[in-house]
Amino acid sequence: MSTAVILFLLIALMLTGMPISISLGLTVLSFLYLFTHVPIESVALKLFTGIEKFEIMAIPFFILAGNFLTHGGVAKRMINFASAMVGHWYGGLGLAGVLACALFAAVSGSSPATVVAIGSILLPAMVKAGFPNKFGAGVIATSGALGILIPPSIVMVMYSVATNTSVGALFMAGVIPGLALAGVLGAVTWYRARKFDYPRQPKASWGERLKAFRASAWGLLLIVVVMGGIYSGMFTPTEAAAMSAVYAFIVAVFVYKDMGLKDVPKVLLNSANMSAMLLYIITNAVLFSFIMTNENIPQALADWMLGNGLGVITFLLAVNVILLLAGNFMEPSSIVLIFAPILFPVAVKLGIHPVHFGILMVVNMEVGMCHPPVGLNLYVASGITKMGITELTIAVWPWLLSMLGFLMVVTYWPNLSLWLPRAMGML
Amino acid sequence: MKFLDHLEEWLVTFLMGAATLIIFVAVVHRYAAGLAIPGVQDWLLSLSMSWAQELTIIMFVWMCKFGAAYGVRTGIHVGVDVLINRLNHQMRGRFVIFGLAAGAIFTGIVATLAAGFVWENGAHYAFMNAMGPVPEGMFPGPTTPDLEWQTWTVYSAIPLGSALMCFRFLQVAAVFARTGDLPHHDHSHVDGLDEVEITDEFHPHEVHAANNGTRKEGQTP
Repeated sequence: MSTAVILFLLIALMLTGMPISISLGLTVLSFLYLFTHVPIESVALKLFTGIEKFEIMAIPFFILAGNFLTHGGVAKRMINFASAMVGHWYGGLGLAGVLACALFAAVSGSSPATVVAIGSILLPAMVKAGFPNKFGAGVIATSGALGILIPPSIVMVMYSVATNTSVGALFMAGVIPGLALAGVLGAVTWYRARKFDYPRQPKASWGERLKAFRASAWGLLLIVVVMGGIYSGMFTPTEAAAMSAVYAFIVAVFVYKDMGLKDVPKVLLNSANMSAMLLYIITNAVLFSFIMTNENIPQALADWMLGNGLGVITFLLAVNVILLLAGNFMEPSSIVLIFAPILFPVAVKLGIHPVHFGILMVVNMEVGMCHPPVGLNLYVASGITKMGITELTIAVWPWLLSMLGFLMVVTYWPNLSLWLPRAMGML
Repeated sequence: MKFLDHLEEWLVTFLMGAATLIIFVAVVHRYAAGLAIPGVQDWLLSLSMSWAQELTIIMFVWMCKFGAAYGVRTGIHVGVDVLINRLNHQMRGRFVIFGLAAGAIFTGIVATLAAGFVWENGAHYAFMNAMGPVPEGMFPGPTTPDLEWQTWTVYSAIPLGSALMCFRFLQVAAVFARTGDLPHHDHSHVDGLDEVEITDEFHPHEVHAANNGTRKEGQTP
């Protein structure tokens, strides 16, 4: 009964288009007021203590680091490096697009910004080289989503906050699936380019490659700072995030000189704006998961699943369907914050590894960003390619389909995600 | 009004930058103190940076509350608008106003609750203390573990920030009622690109969404 009321209230409020954080908060307030004797004052305290954790503070730092490097100049360097490495293969510039998106998305931390930055530089070049417009659009719209799987990833920090899973282990677990997904997207690109005989770039010499690598290496080192720092135990994840923000500042202002010192306050303000929005959703999601646990909803769901003899396979399939549907309406951080507290206890009860479950959710978010009717990347790509959503849907389907296939592999093959963190002794 | 806008922007910018610097300095200090440099090492070891973590958390909580208020003004708080965007202009307008009013109500309630909480937990005592002798049976509120600040001063971010946020929701609603404009935040903005003109007369709605970068609590169709 109470479950139905909570969910109905939340869905009804959300569909009116009000901010997700507000609909979460109002659901909690009205539920507490109408159905329980929990003092409403406890809400005020929760609003503060909800984000009073040092682990959560990694989010603003990662956003800041990403914003320093979200710049056309950085995108150009990544593209030069990528096309020097793989440009001479079938589908040269397309493959370069996959690689450049993976690199830029990992560093910038934002999928839509990746699609715009890489797309608006690379797509005109691809059209000029003789690729059809929709081929390029398909490559960029899907590859732009790679960033949330390749560390550092803000969505993973969200998951670790919601479920108390180790951020370091999650980051490490994302590496192999991230590279594998990039490989899958690259393979589709290569296969289709060979089939339709798309143009290839002249092969770059090793000297040119080295030069392009040296230009992009400064940005890529950000990943090394974060992963190396966490893995070696030099920094906690939050400290690693702060160090990467300082590193990104130095690279952007003094090494790349893409921006001057006078632009720094603007970057700080934008990052603060973005982080405040996410932290605000977190505080309200913490309230929401507080009443969920208070009403024993995850517990009841788990008992129901076990009572009906539904096993791991059915559960994971259901999770995928639910998350893909939710991906149509909400952005990744909100989905993780709302669904992880509900689904996670069930997953643990069924014996699914927390880190594996996290990677599964993240891959789901990634697919959700590119699938019609309302995938965010599609909209952004439609903006820069001047193609309609219907046309783009047709353009992305080969890549989207292979992503869905990959999602199945990630779902039912836990060792793909768990092998690396285990081998490094992080689990 | 202009002053309040600038104060808000200045505050969140400062908190973001300062928090990053503090953690950076704390980490550098931790490793530098391990280096055996005569003289310098003793000095470094005599400094304690144990408060850095707590101060960062406090700064970020303040940044979150005031940044959220600033976010209302920039339209960054996203909602699910697929449904209401299919409605006609007038109905959509009503839902937008409803959403903004709900925001104002929620933040208003929180501001009131939190103000009561802060008052009970030390602000009342501090007020009485400043006024003169404290009546019998009143005690100062708790303090934070490392910095030993009064928690009510730290927690007052919630009533202040929420009240400001409530005000911003009302402000945005007033502007929307008058002009039909809502603030938009562009999630896909990237500096340093040659201007890409995003216009498409055939799919104005979709392009509009792309300009915003994400689904907003409301958009002007």
